Amino acid sequence: MEDLLSVINLDFFYGDNHALKDVTLPIRKNKITSLIGPSGCGKTTLLRCFNRMHDLYPNNRYGGEILMGGKNILGDQVDVISLRNSMGMVFQKPTPFPMSIFDNVAYGLRLKSVRNMSVLREKVEKALRQAAVWEEVKDRLNQNAQGLSGGQQQRLVIARTLAVEPQVILFDESTSALDPISSKKIEELMVELKEEVTIIAVTHNMQQAARISDYTALMYIGSLVEFDETATIFTKPKHKMTEEYVTGRFG
Amino acid sequence: MDNLRRRKAVNLAAMTLASLCAAVGLVLLFIILWDVLAQGLSSLKPRLFTQDPAPPHIPDAGGLKSAFLGQGLLTLVASLIGVPLGVLGGTFLAEYGRHLRVCRLISTLSDMAVSIPSIVIGTFAYAILVLPMRRFNGWAGAVALAIIILPIIVRTTEEMMAMVPWTLREAAFALGAPYHKVITGIVWRASMSGIFTGILLAIARVAGETAPLLFTSFNSNFFQLDMSRAVPSLTVSIYQYAASPYESWVGLAWAAAFVVTVLVLLLNIAGRIIIKFKKKN
Repeated sequence: MEDLLSVINLDFFYGDNHALKDVTLPIRKNKITSLIGPSGCGKTTLLRCFNRMHDLYPNNRYGGEILMGGKNILGDQVDVISLRNSMGMVFQKPTPFPMSIFDNVAYGLRLKSVRNMSVLREKVEKALRQAAVWEEVKDRLNQNAQGLSGGQQQRLVIARTLAVEPQVILFDESTSALDPISSKKIEELMVELKEEVTIIAVTHNMQQAARISDYTALMYIGSLVEFDETATIFTKPKHKMTEEYVTGRFG
Repeated sequence: MDNLRRRKAVNLAAMTLASLCAAVGLVLLFIILWDVLAQGLSSLKPRLFTQDPAPPHIPDAGGLKSAFLGQGLLTLVASLIGVPLGVLGGTFLAEYGRHLRVCRLISTLSDMAVSIPSIVIGTFAYAILVLPMRRFNGWAGAVALAIIILPIIVRTTEEMMAMVPWTLREAAFALGAPYHKVITGIVWRASMSGIFTGILLAIARVAGETAPLLFTSFNSNFFQLDMSRAVPSLTVSIYQYAASPYESWVGLAWAAAFVVTVLVLLLNIAGRIIIKFKKKN
């Protein structure tokens, strides 16, 4: 089993607040890893370490390492912009930019100075097809993306992320603001996408973690409680706390 | 039950008082508008826009053509100074400087600057731009107007940009966008109509100003748009004509006041329409 990323003794601080404590876990390539745990346990904080989102705000500090290809992506010399190109992120609420559907998907490509219109068209279509939203938007690529439904917007955002061909996509509770049908579509999409990308998903939805993920990590007050194959976590976990959490007795 | 009746009575009293106050305000506003309309329309003649000032005793002559152009020039130059400064300053407050305490102070000071009497700003421009040059000049007037619109634009830009949700910025950052591209491509685009409305309202605020021009660009009876000299001003002309003893000049002042009121009203209405249109979408 190949590890794309290795989180090793990771600490994270919001100022004086020690939000992640000595977290160590592997992220397997082309698999879906779910991060679960009660609110405030640090799962989103961990997710946002992978694309260094925390760098946007002052007084945040990392300790430990996240290795990718033997290199620590938390290092000072790492170019955050190219790191973020290889780590896509999909948020809880859909985040369509105030521009056309086409321009949304082309946004990341244009940042990378792709100017050729035929190349752009080809890549935009490919990404929209991958995200299973092409059929619904192909006739209105020039319309404002904010006119799409929530589920369509979320798949558009996934297409926008896919367009720059990332290695990893980070999903931050990306189905929790959607209706059941839209969120089922996104789930199916995530399973399809793991052929090409590695997925890390934060979720509050236990059934979802059980359905789609290959690996699951349970976190509690900033620490990793247990990491294992999803089947093991949900059927015969090693820790009593994991069992109580996945059966809904706490959290 | 007694308590309930008392609450209803207090409610009725409060509503009556508020409605009365609103009525008084509205009635006064409509009296002003009616006065300007009635007096202005009757003296409104094409020569107001086509002729320059003439002595009061010549019948059917004299207009304020150069005053319109001068006022327009001053407002334009003030906007060229104030709009870029204001938008970029507001952008700094909302984005790069949002965590800095000094920026919060600047925001508060800008709010206060909005209510500084415009004559004080005129005096300031007089001290720094008229005294050293030893004559009234257009630059001083334009700068005074620019100082008035600056804090308005700074604050609306800041507020409109702060209303753009942070996750939208994060989504752009997550695609590897550098901050300046997030601002210009995403945040400005999302808040564009709000910022534009702020600019329109700010310009409407100064388009009819008199006080800041009295000590700065003053007025000129001649067709001259050289910014290093006194520039003809519509509002200062209104002030002078309205105070003159000649009936024809007073009539011109009414007509000019009517035109200024309509222009400012239109700018404001345009601003409101944009806000409404934006809210619908």
